[in-house]
Amino acid sequence: MSILSFCEWLQNLGWASGIKHSSWQFPVIESIHSLALSVMLWPAALLDLRLLDVFMRRRPVSQVSAQFLPWIWTGFVVMVLTGVMLFAAEAVKCYNSPFFRMKLVLLAFAGFNAFLFHSTVFRGVELWDKDAPTPRRAKLAGAASLVIWVGVVAMGRALAYA
Amino acid sequence: MLSESWRHYFEWAGNTWLGTTIRDTVWAFPLIETFHLLALAVLLGTVLIINLRVFGLGKRYAPAAQMARQLEPWMLVSLGVLIASGIPMAFSEPMKCFESISFPVKMVLIVLGIAFQFTAQRRWVMSGDAGAGKAKLAALASIFIWTAVGAAGKGIPYI
Repeated sequence: MSILSFCEWLQNLGWASGIKHSSWQFPVIESIHSLALSVMLWPAALLDLRLLDVFMRRRPVSQVSAQFLPWIWTGFVVMVLTGVMLFAAEAVKCYNSPFFRMKLVLLAFAGFNAFLFHSTVFRGVELWDKDAPTPRRAKLAGAASLVIWVGVVAMGRALAYA
Repeated sequence: MLSESWRHYFEWAGNTWLGTTIRDTVWAFPLIETFHLLALAVLLGTVLIINLRVFGLGKRYAPAAQMARQLEPWMLVSLGVLIASGIPMAFSEPMKCFESISFPVKMVLIVLGIAFQFTAQRRWVMSGDAGAGKAKLAALASIFIWTAVGAAGKGIPYI
């Protein structure tokens, strides 16, 4: 089965076409999708800003991370669930949209960046947790995360209009 | 829906240079909306972190007053970005705003939210009096108002 025929099959499922043809389901799910940004994206950005030594410099990185990771994961789960619903309702449109493809690529970058950070430089966080500047690789990970997520939001908005 | 006497203000807004330029530029609206949405995430995220702290979420990490003091500037900055990006969006489609119920509801909620922030929030939540009944009530009200602002914004094209 090609990806396109998968998208056609998906958007013809009862629940998916239900979302598309209902007068309120799409905007309500889209609202939840957007509002969940505040649960996921802002705590993630706060952690990035800590890594960049811009904000909350006096608090240990491990503590800021422990505080915000549950937020980030909670928001992420909501974003994925609502995102899948929105995608299913307009699967073929998304398939044909260069913005949607770019959004997926950026999401993959974001995941890879977070994985790389946690499996390398963050493992030695005791050494730079407090009272020491963040190592360059951690700063790079924070900056990359900020840029990538801004791009993800921008692609999502572009997708809605084109 | 707004009364007819407001109509010509909205028509005027749509005919300004700002309104016509955004309408005539394909990428302008989604670009401005991206900033609007990012700022909303900052505002609402800050509101949630500060106010859920009143209910004990994150109490291991910092005292409520300290957390609120550290984060409040972000709230004010994001509010500035929201207003600065919201005005051009409204100018580009004023008649949609004029005909919707969501738009006036949203404007009233914003004024309410700002007034609430500088009165009840400052007195009961930002003071770090966590655990007090008034603080919890003010925290819930703040979460509700700002979430409703976001939801009403999403509602403008629909109702």
